Amino acid sequence: MVSAGTLHVIATELAIGAYATAGVAFLLAGLASHGLFGLGRHLRTADLAAHFALTFGLLAMPFAMATGISSSPGDGIDHPLLINKMLLGSGAIGLALGVLLTRRRLGAGLWDDRAGRRWQSLGGLGAVGLVLITASMGGTYTRGESLLDVLSLPYDVVPLMPMWLSMAVLGLALVNLVLIRKPRAA
Amino acid sequence: MKRVAILLVVAALLMAPSFGAANPNGVGEGTFDAQCGGACHGDADMNRTSPSTVSLEVPTEVYEGLLTSVSVTVTGVQTTSTGVLGIFLLSDVTGAEDTPEDDGWTIVSNSEGGTQNYAEVVVAPGVMTHTVEWTLRAPNVGEYQLHAAIHHGTQDGSGAPFFGVTEAPAEVEVQPVPANLPRLSDDFQAPVLRTLGESTTVRLSTEAVSDLEVEWRVDGGTVRTATATSEGNGVWTFDIPASLEPVVVEWRVHLEGEGPKQTTPWLALQSEEPKFTVDETAAYVQAFAILFVTMVAFMSLQRRVAPPTEQPKILPFPNEVMP
Repeated sequence: MVSAGTLHVIATELAIGAYATAGVAFLLAGLASHGLFGLGRHLRTADLAAHFALTFGLLAMPFAMATGISSSPGDGIDHPLLINKMLLGSGAIGLALGVLLTRRRLGAGLWDDRAGRRWQSLGGLGAVGLVLITASMGGTYTRGESLLDVLSLPYDVVPLMPMWLSMAVLGLALVNLVLIRKPRAA
Repeated sequence: MKRVAILLVVAALLMAPSFGAANPNGVGEGTFDAQCGGACHGDADMNRTSPSTVSLEVPTEVYEGLLTSVSVTVTGVQTTSTGVLGIFLLSDVTGAEDTPEDDGWTIVSNSEGGTQNYAEVVVAPGVMTHTVEWTLRAPNVGEYQLHAAIHHGTQDGSGAPFFGVTEAPAEVEVQPVPANLPRLSDDFQAPVLRTLGESTTVRLSTEAVSDLEVEWRVDGGTVRTATATSEGNGVWTFDIPASLEPVVVEWRVHLEGEGPKQTTPWLALQSEEPKFTVDETAAYVQAFAILFVTMVAFMSLQRRVAPPTEQPKILPFPNEVMP
């Protein structure tokens, strides 16, 4: 019988492996799109690798989350670290989705635009960084230590907004999403 | 496409049971039937017989509605590397409606600081014996049985779950209370939890008691006495000093009156760090808000880049795949 804890390790390794690959590929794509270090000819490979790895990481994340909840002792959110983990994970998923949807909308041509290539590589790297910090928080929660402890991040502080503010922000975001999908007037 | 969806659903359903099976990290204390009714280690026939010995110590005669102490000792303790050992106190071992409460007992406290019939302890490596004590309020007059059982894993790498139970049930006879027996009132609720750094004032309600003496100790340490003050009508109060670290303070009362002198069992009072509480709904809504805000913010940022006009946007490199 495979326990939830073991499945969580497997699912987490899948997700983190994919995100790590995406991180390296986004870095390469960013450098290549700027013609640095003679990497220009690898742009297409790095672009595909980055977005596919990011997609795979996103697909693996729900399994990591489900098994993480199953293997976690106690009920509900009973530690500030768990809330910060959830909030940071949400930010990572949102940013990753934004990067992927942008790539889908603009195609490979986004690397031809100066601002587009810069933000795409930074967005991908940001999503990967957020996921790595989220995973690091899991280590701090279960084992009491993590590689990123050197950063002394304030995990015990919970930046929780009032419900009405969260609802307002969510509403604004959804309205913006609808407006973004509308085609621009010529 | 439909077949793929069905395949994914079936695969998810097949995987779902394994997420919750075995639970090597434990399930936390709770009120559970024998073997958690199959919820903790899977079905009963999936368990192996524990090599540990489980023994139960309980008075053979107790008084109706009064407190009594039950002690469960596990020898030859075996656990996984986490050291988690689950201990059940039961009225039967059928796996359904067999908690002590189902027979009319009331669990007042246990030595792990809980009020449930299932306690989960972490046994340090090399420790072969562990005892958990329950304080119960006796049910109506009659003959009763109590069992103890354990759940644990092993370090042999097999991942197998184990179940052990007492060889024979303990027989308990509940007798009517003599009219003049000094005792705690039936409605007395002993405190079981408190916050670190706060002293506890215990308000005892008694019957047929003319004098009493309170003793307390820290987790099996030196016994100290506390001064009890009478408030009249059989109500007494005393203070247990604050603790500065999470420990179990145990206390008991020697009761005197016209009837035979009585001593209550040791009652456990667990000190805990202040619990972290949060509005979970607000946290979930904020998480969704953050998800959508980051997604939309990034897409808005990239909206300045014009989309390709002639080539299909879903194809990444049209010049490679188009004829």
